Amino acid sequence: MATPIVPINLNSTDTLTPDNAVYAGFFGVMGTTSAMVLTGLGAAYGTAKSGSGIAGMAVSKPELIMKSIIPIVMAGIIAIYGLVVAVIISQSVTSHFTPQIEVTKLSASGGYTNTFGFCHLGAGLSVGFCGLAAGYAIGVAGESGVRGTAMQPRLFVGMILVLIFAEVLGLYGLIIALILDTNVK
Amino acid sequence: MASAGNAICYVLLLWTGITVVLGVYYVLSGQGTRIDFGWLIENVDPSMYASLGIASAIALSVVGAAWGILTTGCSILGAGVKAPRIQTKNLISIIFCEAVAIYGIIIAILINARLKKNLDLDDLSPQYRRGTQFAGFACFGAGLTSGFCNLFCGMAVGIVGSGAALADAQNAALFVKILVVEIFASAIGLFGVIVSILQVGVIAQVQIVVAQSISAPK
Repeated sequence: MATPIVPINLNSTDTLTPDNAVYAGFFGVMGTTSAMVLTGLGAAYGTAKSGSGIAGMAVSKPELIMKSIIPIVMAGIIAIYGLVVAVIISQSVTSHFTPQIEVTKLSASGGYTNTFGFCHLGAGLSVGFCGLAAGYAIGVAGESGVRGTAMQPRLFVGMILVLIFAEVLGLYGLIIALILDTNVK
Repeated sequence: MASAGNAICYVLLLWTGITVVLGVYYVLSGQGTRIDFGWLIENVDPSMYASLGIASAIALSVVGAAWGILTTGCSILGAGVKAPRIQTKNLISIIFCEAVAIYGIIIAILINARLKKNLDLDDLSPQYRRGTQFAGFACFGAGLTSGFCNLFCGMAVGIVGSGAALADAQNAALFVKILVVEIFASAIGLFGVIVSILQVGVIAQVQIVVAQSISAPK
């Protein structure tokens, strides 16, 4: 453990130690960003792919369009997972960004430590990549599902089952992100 | 274009090889601590981070909007050959893509206002540095979030709008139903804007905390 750097402003209670570095905030912010951006990509892919499937089957079976909106809604839910995690990480960064309180001890106490930053980055990446994969799966399966349902109406239930399993993948990422966020105290 | 793909692979391999060789040389000659990403993140000027955030917010949003407009416009004009009635109604899809670019402008101006207000570098003591550097990080993150989300949203709205135009050309009653899918797609850009505004708003609260720590007696 290195010695703390003495601050220039002697009235301050903040110090910089290697465990409490300035770059920890960068990783917290990148956690928020990656949560929203990667789930947004998954949701956009799912919406676009299923949407073009709907446009294809709409010409022959217009009465089935409203039932076929389900893959679109599930892709939108993936984006909501990312939004929820981004908001949680953002609030967590704010509430833990207190300057270090103890100046005399060599061990860091208080402040936004490196651990907090890395935990936030991990939370964002976990929901991000899980949401990306889930959105991709919803898109491809949804497109085949809506086109197949137009030709064979009994396939509708099967499509819903496949989409639910794909959606749950994003949920796993959300769970792990929330667990990682509880590491930050 | 196999030769172009091969050329790109060779260039990537060359650059990776040079980087690995340099890294191994540094480590073996005892200068391994010079490879310091933390130093790089800490010492890039916060104005640079904020400016890159502003640039990526507007640039990526406009690329997304442009991609959407080109995809949708192509389909409208192609299908309009046999069904010219679809032109005016399908301008709605193009307006959805344009809204994505407007989101980008709004976020860029917001981050710019934050850059002017919170990123002064008069005092370079460690406490101010932590708060100011964090403000730079947050501007960068906000710009990337809204930029990339608007990029993906624009591409998705373009693809769905193209499908809507082609379906509309065959049966005029289908356009409104496929418009519902476009609304879901444009919600993604809106989520990105919400998160960006949240990230920019975090800066004010953090700087209040930093200022309180400086004025608090030991």
